[in-house]
Amino acid sequence: MTIRSQAYAAFRICYFNGIMPLWRSPLLIAAVFLTPFSFLFFLYVIAPRALFPFGVVGGVLFTALFTGNGMLNDCAYLRLERQLQQVFVASPVSSLAYILGMALSELAFAIPASVLFLAILILVAPVGPLGVGALVGVLLLTWLMATTLGFFVSTMFSQLREIWPIGTLIFSLLSVLPPIFYPATEIPAHWRWVAYLAPSTYAAQLADRAVGLGGAITTGVGVVDSPYFDLGMLLAVTLLFGLAALYLARWREP
Amino acid sequence: MAVLEARGLSKTYARRGHSTRALDRVDLDIRQDQLFAFLGRNGAGKTTFIKIASTLLLPTEGELRLFGHDVVAEPSTVRPLMALVPQEGKLFFHMTPREHIREYLRVRGTSRETAQSRADEILEAMGLLAYQDTIALRLSGGLQQRTLVAMVLATQAPFLFLDEPTLGMDPFARRQVWEVIRRAARHGSTVLLTTHYLDEAEQLSDELAVIEGGRVLYKGTGEALKSTLGREVRLQFSGGFRPSDLEPYGKVFRERDRLTLLTTRSAVRELTDRALSLGSEVTVGPVTLEEAFLELVGRGIEEDES
Repeated sequence: MTIRSQAYAAFRICYFNGIMPLWRSPLLIAAVFLTPFSFLFFLYVIAPRALFPFGVVGGVLFTALFTGNGMLNDCAYLRLERQLQQVFVASPVSSLAYILGMALSELAFAIPASVLFLAILILVAPVGPLGVGALVGVLLLTWLMATTLGFFVSTMFSQLREIWPIGTLIFSLLSVLPPIFYPATEIPAHWRWVAYLAPSTYAAQLADRAVGLGGAITTGVGVVDSPYFDLGMLLAVTLLFGLAALYLARWREP
Repeated sequence: MAVLEARGLSKTYARRGHSTRALDRVDLDIRQDQLFAFLGRNGAGKTTFIKIASTLLLPTEGELRLFGHDVVAEPSTVRPLMALVPQEGKLFFHMTPREHIREYLRVRGTSRETAQSRADEILEAMGLLAYQDTIALRLSGGLQQRTLVAMVLATQAPFLFLDEPTLGMDPFARRQVWEVIRRAARHGSTVLLTTHYLDEAEQLSDELAVIEGGRVLYKGTGEALKSTLGREVRLQFSGGFRPSDLEPYGKVFRERDRLTLLTTRSAVRELTDRALSLGSEVTVGPVTLEEAFLELVGRGIEEDES
């Protein structure tokens, strides 16, 4: 198959695994929206109003990060429970087309919730079209990072029951604990380095900066405090997970 | 010409300190356009062989070539030449049979028109027209399995791997599927199927292999396998005889209240006369592939144990 037909295969997978179920069960949109919205509501009730825009950006990022959890669970389910991944392995469809198709279908699930959070953000923060564009770029990188990680991890286990807690653990660690819903400056100064262990911190700092919010960690080291550092780290981690999904994931079992 | 050639193919699964030899130096050739059946007990190694041949699994040792290409070294060359019905595969629950067939063909690069016409054709041939627009969630297990088989057969791939394709189907559906599989072979696909239904293997296959404990015990036609028994006739008696009366004539086993004897043609007249004089009901028929399979695998198990 040519590159064009592999790209088309990815689009078809997105169509029948993402768009088609959404069209038939619109309630799925609410399911994706509910968790980040609950966090946001919680913040609205208990946190100072100044932190609310951070929570909204967090909601957008959370939906992008949780595409990784969806990817992990969907890919594991299709491989272990439905045996459908095997039908695609024994076919002209490449692993790249399959990963991309599955990742795009996760994106399809996330888009309605992300759009809703973006709309709320425009209402509560002075964000212009450039800021929205930059935020969408960060979201796409985050989605790519999370879904490639999700696919890689999904191929490492042979039991669904092992995978469910692993997915929740990984993606909760990436999306709830790091400074996604709150500014990193809220973390006590001597613990801020821990936030850098989560790649989602770089995404969050980039996103907050994109929409004109402060709150990024300042170390006093010029390079590290620059948004290019966050961008570079996010790109590096995305590339790393992408390579792991393509070359280390078990498309064929050992 | 052999399109599938396995040489010294072995697979050992090593998990948590335990290792299991699933395939043990298997040599096998499957010719072009052949309908080949793999028979064996659960865990005998059939699915492992199919997984390796369909590039899902790496072997531990040995080589397997498909259309002359090494499946380990050249997976992207052989994958476009194959399609697979996995064992106990299930459908996307939100899609209809027609959508499954159409979308799978489209993903594989088939044009919209061809995908549409092949979907029409196979839905009819598989008796799925009445259910073509019902989502899989509402289909019975047998109909879902039929859809999965239809989806794969519609590819018309040069090599079709069918791992227990008729599992859970009723006898009518099985016969419909057999006909479509036969048609696929007539149209140039080579088919490797595994099954636990011996009648299916007998009806469908040009050749078969029996595998036990990861080793191929037999390869040849079903008829030739039956002839290895050395007994051509199956007699069933209800009442009249004790097993010891029949043992001198061949192999005897009890099934419920009936005694079954596998014997030679020359003993039939004498035994049927005796049965009638004893007031026993008797039925006469040829030995089945199942009996030959049980005998062969039973010997294989005994050899392994000794």
